[in-house]
Amino acid sequence: MIKLSPTKKRTLFFVALGWALLLIGDRIGELLQYQGSFVAMYALAIASIILLTGYSGQLSLGHSALMAVGAYAGALSINNLNLHPAIALVIATFVAGIFGLILGFGVARLSGPYLAGTTLALAVSLPTLANQFPILGGEQGVVFDVGAPPARFGEDFSMYKWFFWISTLAVLIMLWLISNVVSSRYGRTFRAIRDNETAAALSGLNTGRLKVLAFAISSGMAGLAGGLLVMLISGVSPSAFPLSLSFSLLTGAVVTGVYSLKGVMLGGLVLVAIPEIADSIVTRIGGSEGFTATLPGFLVSALLILAVLFTPNGPGTLLHSFKKHN
Amino acid sequence: MIQFITAILTALTTGAIYALMSTALVLVWRSTRIINFAQAGQAVLSTYIGYEVTIRSGSFWVGVISAMIFGALLGAAIDRFFMRPIFKRIQSGPILMIAPVVATLGLLGIIQAVIGFRWGLTYQSLAAPVSTDGFTLFGRVIAFSPFNLLVLVFATVSMLLLTVLFQKTNVGLALRASAHSPEIAKLSGIKVDFIRTLGWSLAGAAGGLAGMLYIPSSYLYPNAMDVLLVFGFVAAVIGGLDSLFGAVAGAMILGFAISFATSYVSEKLVFPMAFVMLVVVLLIKPAGLFSGKKSRRD
Repeated sequence: MIKLSPTKKRTLFFVALGWALLLIGDRIGELLQYQGSFVAMYALAIASIILLTGYSGQLSLGHSALMAVGAYAGALSINNLNLHPAIALVIATFVAGIFGLILGFGVARLSGPYLAGTTLALAVSLPTLANQFPILGGEQGVVFDVGAPPARFGEDFSMYKWFFWISTLAVLIMLWLISNVVSSRYGRTFRAIRDNETAAALSGLNTGRLKVLAFAISSGMAGLAGGLLVMLISGVSPSAFPLSLSFSLLTGAVVTGVYSLKGVMLGGLVLVAIPEIADSIVTRIGGSEGFTATLPGFLVSALLILAVLFTPNGPGTLLHSFKKHN
Repeated sequence: MIQFITAILTALTTGAIYALMSTALVLVWRSTRIINFAQAGQAVLSTYIGYEVTIRSGSFWVGVISAMIFGALLGAAIDRFFMRPIFKRIQSGPILMIAPVVATLGLLGIIQAVIGFRWGLTYQSLAAPVSTDGFTLFGRVIAFSPFNLLVLVFATVSMLLLTVLFQKTNVGLALRASAHSPEIAKLSGIKVDFIRTLGWSLAGAAGGLAGMLYIPSSYLYPNAMDVLLVFGFVAAVIGGLDSLFGAVAGAMILGFAISFATSYVSEKLVFPMAFVMLVVVLLIKPAGLFSGKKSRRD
């Protein structure tokens, strides 16, 4: 039996997961490929919330806006600079990260409700800026086209499979990087600040700077997720990033358990599944237009409250206490 | 000159509505130490009730009173049957930090969804009781109508009543004492839990009034008050979350900043201006401009 370091084990895990997803992607239909791409994108966005909330103790309702920053940066670099989509996604990550860094200097030192309210204001105010600058295309927005899959993949390589490949690959790489960050020295210092900021400062940590750093990393992740989201819907507009997106991400994070990155795929699955469940409820029992339109929001909110009440530290704790009872 | 006068009058009207919303947030913050994001939902649901009553009874005034009463009852019910059980359940653990925000957000989503179930997502309009056509000044129609004047009067009167309640009555003393130091208030025989629920219901009534005064100039739909929640929060932070006077002053500062920015620079500056004000205040004087307390660590 070969002993592997935790870092190498993690890398192996991600390679194996990527391999498995590649095989799965070959065997599923186009709808599942498309939905799978959304699951991956949401998983990354949820991971960005978990890094911020679970690991560094900050709460953001503005991640929909940060996703929008990444999405617009990516779209503009494809449309106006003719860059390769892969580079555009990297740019999306970095622009959102830098935006988060600048923002972080202003807000990351704020405590709980202040940070929540300020980021809420950001989520409401930033999308309105799209109407200010003609280059952002106003309410219609701008297209985000990654182009057809390369010819060498063959004739029957569909667009959906291409989406699936791009998003799972991008998300796996990003999550691999982040899981390395959280198990490094930085991850430990983030957790130290979360658990007791005063004690962390006494131990010589520059808590302000580390909080800003966590905010910037989280923003970068959100930016990449935003780029992937608009790739999947082929265009970026202010209406793609409503405040309810931030709420959904928060729900995904709480359902997953904010203190561990391990379950982010579950959170992504839940967010993709909710509209489907709502659809099937509506087809079964019928209902007015208002009922149909608001049922997903109702399910998201109910899930958020239930998760906070019954599994405040993630489904893992539920399993744990279940074992103890028996 | 006309532009200047219009900007001032608009600032006063919008400031008055922001003030009602920020007062609601401050009342809850003082009694429970949480920012009630569900306030937007409570206010809009109360406004829907007011809207229904206005249509049935034919009187806007009956509608306003029903919206305020419903808002007060809803606020009390939320504190008693939602917030208190949640806090009883979550007393420790790292989730404690985000639980209040998450709980009020979840509640906001539920209230808005329930409104969608009952009334749909279509925009309804609520007719104002007096004309919404602007006054004529020096032969020109300005953007200040009899209804705006009414909003101003209503907001001022309710603020005065609230001030009297807080400064001149025993209940007000109990409210202030519980906000200042719940433990000592409890020792002096004040029923802190009751006072806390009272704070929530006063906030609910203020929200209902804000909705009834705001919606006639806009439309009624489930998310109609989200924007006011943001402005109310910004105003409350500018004033310092602990101070009722600060909430009103902050709302007026915000109203003037937004009104002058939109009338002299660009129509589109409403949200960016609010966000810039928020960040500037948080950077320069994070405790708020009118807060008595030195730090806001708690």
